[in-house]
Amino acid sequence: MKLRRRTFLAAAGCLAGGIGLSTMAGRAHATPAELSVALKKVTGGATLRPGRVTLEIPPLVENGNSVPLSVVVESPMTTVNHVRAIHVFAEKNPLPNVISIYLGPRSGRARIATRVRLADTQKVLAVAEMSDGSFWSDSRDVTVTLAACTEAVI
Amino acid sequence: MDQSLNLNRREFLISTAAVGGGLALGLQLPFGVNAAVAADVVPEVNAWVMIRPDNTVVIRVARSEMGQGTITGLAQLVAEELECDWSKVSTEYPTPGQNLKRNRVWGSFSTGGSRGIRTSHEYVRQGGAAARMMLVQAAADQWKVPASECRAVNSIITHQPTGRTVTYGKVADAAGKLPAPDIKTIQLKDPKNWKIAGKPMKRFGTVDKVTGRQVYGFDLKLPGMVNAAIMECPVFGGKIRNFDAAKVSGRKGVKKVLQVGDTAVAVVADTWWQAKTALDALPIEWDSGANAKVSSTSIAAELKAGLTAAQAFVGNKSGDIKTALAGAAKTIEAEYAYPYQNHACMEPMNATARYTPDKCEVWVPTQDGEASFAAVLEASGLPADKCEVYKLDLGGGFGRRGAFQDYVTQAVLIAKQMPGIPVKLLWSREEDMRQGRFHPVMQCRLTGSFDASNNLTGLHMRLSGQSILAAVRPAIVEKAGGKDSATFQGVADSGEHSLGYTFPNMLVDHAMRNTHVPPGFWRGVNINQNAIFLECFMDELAHAAGEDPVAFRRRFMAGHPRNLAVLNAVAERIGWDRPAPKGRHRGIAQMKAFDSFVAAACEISVEGGNKVKVHRIVAATDSGYAVNPAQIERQIAGSFVYGLSALFMQECTVKDGRIEQENFHSYNSMRIAQMPRVESIIMPGGGPVWGGVGEPTICVAAPAVLNAFFKATGKRIRSVPLKNHGIELV
Repeated sequence: MKLRRRTFLAAAGCLAGGIGLSTMAGRAHATPAELSVALKKVTGGATLRPGRVTLEIPPLVENGNSVPLSVVVESPMTTVNHVRAIHVFAEKNPLPNVISIYLGPRSGRARIATRVRLADTQKVLAVAEMSDGSFWSDSRDVTVTLAACTEAVI
Repeated sequence: MDQSLNLNRREFLISTAAVGGGLALGLQLPFGVNAAVAADVVPEVNAWVMIRPDNTVVIRVARSEMGQGTITGLAQLVAEELECDWSKVSTEYPTPGQNLKRNRVWGSFSTGGSRGIRTSHEYVRQGGAAARMMLVQAAADQWKVPASECRAVNSIITHQPTGRTVTYGKVADAAGKLPAPDIKTIQLKDPKNWKIAGKPMKRFGTVDKVTGRQVYGFDLKLPGMVNAAIMECPVFGGKIRNFDAAKVSGRKGVKKVLQVGDTAVAVVADTWWQAKTALDALPIEWDSGANAKVSSTSIAAELKAGLTAAQAFVGNKSGDIKTALAGAAKTIEAEYAYPYQNHACMEPMNATARYTPDKCEVWVPTQDGEASFAAVLEASGLPADKCEVYKLDLGGGFGRRGAFQDYVTQAVLIAKQMPGIPVKLLWSREEDMRQGRFHPVMQCRLTGSFDASNNLTGLHMRLSGQSILAAVRPAIVEKAGGKDSATFQGVADSGEHSLGYTFPNMLVDHAMRNTHVPPGFWRGVNINQNAIFLECFMDELAHAAGEDPVAFRRRFMAGHPRNLAVLNAVAERIGWDRPAPKGRHRGIAQMKAFDSFVAAACEISVEGGNKVKVHRIVAATDSGYAVNPAQIERQIAGSFVYGLSALFMQECTVKDGRIEQENFHSYNSMRIAQMPRVESIIMPGGGPVWGGVGEPTICVAAPAVLNAFFKATGKRIRSVPLKNHGIELV
């Protein structure tokens, strides 16, 4: 898993006060407060690290009404080392915590696929909660092409 | 000038690369650029500008050309800042795939909402200016002199102290290797000093169009290509129950009969006619679903109930309308109605797709290449680096080919079932009529109140009907608590569609009544009905007050100087203060739409009470800036073709859940002999906001004529089209 600067910033921004990250968080203006609150509910303020998670979502979507996404987490999925949950956040949705899916060793593999609605062009963040209490993440920018078409008339 | 006539090595390579090796083919096709192929042939100065050694300039434009001239206008803006020789400019489309790879350097591809120029003028001009600065820097570096001593004019850079010169073509390669200038250092020209922009330059591509050389989507031929015809369930929301493929699969040329999603059946054959006739003969059983009984009558009844419903979303409000109505010495009331309409593009919906598990390519006339690209991603299931969309100029768009990419999805779904073979999906005219994304239906009840001295004291405008955004972007409507603000275009309290009057007490509200008929953005969108409702009722109010319609309007326009200016301009030009020629009658209307101010005045005569001849139209537009006045003039004239066709002839009716109209015999357009003389007044008022041109004028066509018809006959017509009243355009 590549550690891209953008992912790092997004993750840092979401944390709002993660140890040693507050300066970076201050710069990541794109992340609204609601997302930080929603994210904190999930992580309890624990450090969010980029990596181990792959979020697949199209970079461009027509209207955002039904967007396919999948999340895969690297994990052996054993009793001692597995993914406890996968959470997806969309910073510009009215309810940023789009979905939380709880897994266990019996899930076999840590992969989920679903469809979500995206209210606007935005960053989508996937967070994996591991059995050792660590949190890992990946994020992607999604452009809703129709957003530009309707912004002007509303 | 003519992109499809330039048979240079690069385009040759691109074309052959895109079609996979057919040498004899594709030379004249306006394919998108393959950056990897292009880079070594034409030096790219930056994303917007490429310059060949012979000084020919290629300007890349992301917006789509559909007859509105936006390509020419945007190229003028780039060329103006570039300081290049306009006679050597041609244009090309970047592809959506390239845009994505290059971090969306060309911005949005969306070509709608009259926004082609007004929302991108700044960054395209900056693109041209940045390229000029890089070219000048490259020349200065070559001469080892400061760039500030050099000046660029007409593709030639001069070192002013020594008089040395070099052409753009000679330094383009070096310029392309320089870093882009800091955007803060880019100074754009004052429009007052424009030499290329602001001038009536000839439109690109005209020769190709008149000689038939222009390749539209439905002209496209690829090697080994097969043709597909499709039929989707004619009742919206219905699906396929079953179809008997064996009945037609043995017919000559038929390759495949297949299901497309849950709702459509397609036939693929060697020729399109074989596919179409086989599809016509194919027994299909539909599951029409819950909407099989819906009719225009049942829809109208639902809307009618909304006119007096307690719940409605407030769009614009001032004073206290309740008190004004309660205390009125006199009230007048009227109910108006606007129908469903189809875009009816001359070129029906189409897309050509070739799919393999490694690559999905689509050639499509589209108002939004990125939306098409998104549809390809979703339908193909392939990642973005394995997909590409090549845009073709459109044979009409009008809002059908932007937000809706259903035909792209269908083409890819069909091509997926025939890997490696290019499939051209072309809708029949009937399919195009049935499967529109229709101008929404709306009814309106207007109530005006007067005091004892005949002063207007209040106006209530109650809209009842369909919301486009509730169907297309429900997230936006939900965020606004259920309200669709776009419903109030032209009568809104602020913004690009704000009301051009100030009334002492006013309420504009909307009872949302959605139907199963899919609504869409139809050229002008919601200003079309709102202009009829408001501007015809303004005439009714003026009549009730015993006042001249123009004088009456002016009373409420003190705070709207630019609305007033266009109104005055058309009134003066048509001679409003003098009597009309014998037998002729005048009408007038104004509105602000898409950040432009527009007004129209017309002169008509009526024979036998129902034969209307429109003799003359005067139309004024203040779009802030005029990038190409000749284009604006044509857009204004074209708006009356569209607007008057809608007024007199066009309605889509619903029976048994489906659209009844199937072709131009029942959904007509005006002919050239019916077209009035249009005199346009282009009066750009400047300021920080640039207005649009493609749509605004349409909305004033109908109310101006309806008001003139009242003048002529004493009859108020409050529903359109006029054919339903036995009134025809002659």
